[in-house]
Amino acid sequence: MIKLKHCKTLLASVCLTLLTAGASAQNKTIAIGYQLPLSGENAQYGMLFRNSATLALDDFNKSGKLPGVTVQIKFEDSKSDAKEGVNIARKFSDDSSILAVIGDFNSTVSMAAGQVYAQTKVAQLSQTASHPDFVKISEYQFRNINTQAYEGPLIANWAHGNGVKKVAVVAIQNDWGQSAANNFINGFKAAGGTVTDVEYFNPGTRDFRSILTKIGRSQPEAIFLGAFYEDGSAFLQQKLQMGLKQNVYATSSLYEKKMIELAGPAANGLYLTSTFLVESTEPHIASYVKAYEARYGAKPQQFAAQAFDATNIMLNAIVAAGGANATRAKVRDALAATKNFPGVTGTTSFDQATREPIKLLTKLQVTDGKFVSVK
Amino acid sequence: MFDIFFVQQLVNGLSIGLIYALVAIGFTLIFGVLNVVNFAHGEIYMIGSFAGLMAITTFAPPLFVVILIALAAGALAGFGLERLAFRPFRRFRDEASLKSKAIREATLLSSLAVSIIVREIAEKIFGSNMQSIPQDYLLLKPIQIGSLSFADGQFLIFGLSIVMLGGLQWLLKRTRIGLSIRAVANNPMGAAYVGINTERTIIATFVIGSTLGAIAGLIVGLYQGAIFPAMGFVPGVKAFVAMVMGGLSSIGGAVVCALILGMAEAITTSFFAQGWGDLVAYLFLVITLIFFPTGLFGGGRERV
Repeated sequence: MIKLKHCKTLLASVCLTLLTAGASAQNKTIAIGYQLPLSGENAQYGMLFRNSATLALDDFNKSGKLPGVTVQIKFEDSKSDAKEGVNIARKFSDDSSILAVIGDFNSTVSMAAGQVYAQTKVAQLSQTASHPDFVKISEYQFRNINTQAYEGPLIANWAHGNGVKKVAVVAIQNDWGQSAANNFINGFKAAGGTVTDVEYFNPGTRDFRSILTKIGRSQPEAIFLGAFYEDGSAFLQQKLQMGLKQNVYATSSLYEKKMIELAGPAANGLYLTSTFLVESTEPHIASYVKAYEARYGAKPQQFAAQAFDATNIMLNAIVAAGGANATRAKVRDALAATKNFPGVTGTTSFDQATREPIKLLTKLQVTDGKFVSVK
Repeated sequence: MFDIFFVQQLVNGLSIGLIYALVAIGFTLIFGVLNVVNFAHGEIYMIGSFAGLMAITTFAPPLFVVILIALAAGALAGFGLERLAFRPFRRFRDEASLKSKAIREATLLSSLAVSIIVREIAEKIFGSNMQSIPQDYLLLKPIQIGSLSFADGQFLIFGLSIVMLGGLQWLLKRTRIGLSIRAVANNPMGAAYVGINTERTIIATFVIGSTLGAIAGLIVGLYQGAIFPAMGFVPGVKAFVAMVMGGLSSIGGAVVCALILGMAEAITTSFFAQGWGDLVAYLFLVITLIFFPTGLFGGGRERV
């Protein structure tokens, strides 16, 4: 049913494009492909991406940055399934109106589709795929999310700069948690600090008191926490109950309103990073939040903001590549040359050699149940 | 190594073990009577905590009223579970069916089916995320005794386990319904021949066992600050392990083994890492089964 409805809207939009194209012959239409999950288990994220991308595109087309050219985004539902992702990648590659592609949501699907884009030489920009190997597929892969290789050392230097010399590391026992912990540890040791404990907990652990007792014995000056927000909030609550006074430094995975709701007063004092602060008073962020809320009835979260920036980075690259005269190769090169792009998730540049994004992270502290940015 | 932090680790282990014990009590009671594993016990545990949480968020009653509501929800859920997953397999009263292994395994699977359906429905309604719990109800208030840290929930769980265990022993040994539960557990057909209403006795067992499970779920949910649809799975598995180690039908044995499991997890974390805790717990299970095939406290003829 959903699929049918989808086809209809797609058909309608195609007809509409044809009509408008016919009406004004000199108005050229170029397209960006966007593959994302619109059904299945990650559909909620795909919806956010589509909302943000539509918002960014409408603003762009109204702005008149490319006179006589209308840019269009073709959305395709990958259902968070690698097979679907590959099919869409073939379809987009065969569609000559598409200059470049945004997506997919998770690393697995993004990497499967990436194999196709590497062969067909279409630039692919994922707003969220954070697997280290994603950008290593070929020179056509880009991402708009920091990896732990960047975030870990940054938090390490932050803690060290705040006078922390001895730290205990607690992280979830999975790929992500290990990379978060290792990157932090390397960064912290490089900064000259010592690590007292490295404790991994099994996913699904609800009782952190044994780990906290162990930390209590080795008496570090702070705790680094690489966890998702549900485990993180339980950890913070139990830390408060056990009477441990150490500050906690956490990854941006804890930047969730729900984390504060679950942890309550135990969240106060927590240091963490984020690329996007919804309460920010910076004019371009505030206006994005306002426009998003007015159109979709809810405040955007970090992932929606990353999709907004990814779309704008892509549109920017198309302009730089010559707009109406842009080719796939030119768009890729323009994308690779992206430097200091001012987005709602901070300023973004792509590293010349690795194509990894360099995004400034906002440093936050939870104060009185609110995320407040700190220096 | 053997300092105050080690004592603290023993306290942590005791409180983890008591949580498993709370779940194991109701679980073992039902197994003792029907000789069938009730896989839906973890979902009863979840229903208890959700019923309590809904009461808390709608009209914020005092904690003992919340416990009564969880108790009622558990009783109702236990009655419904028996009706849905267990009774249909007791239609056949002939001796062959009563002794049939196939029927027993079918019952095991039907309880598993009910457990999956209930959990999925809860996920559809509430989402699979953890629910927010009003801070005043969390059982995480720190209580410092010397250099040892306790939470008020730990004392409540400790008290609750003693009350549950004692109350259950009293019920089984001193009341008429307890007498018939023991009779049915010992020999269901014999009990039927001497005029005991086995149907009613089985329903009563489910209601009592599920009540205990639901209260455990509520208290543990508030103590861990974690109420979510899949919360019953891990304690359910650990309670099952404790029950098998304890000899399948000895409630006291299951409680002792639950405490051993909890202690093993905490001490393993202390000497190695938290990730090894589960491994050590299951190692205990394997060792027990090799050297005591009937469990540490099994072997006696009388069940329950």
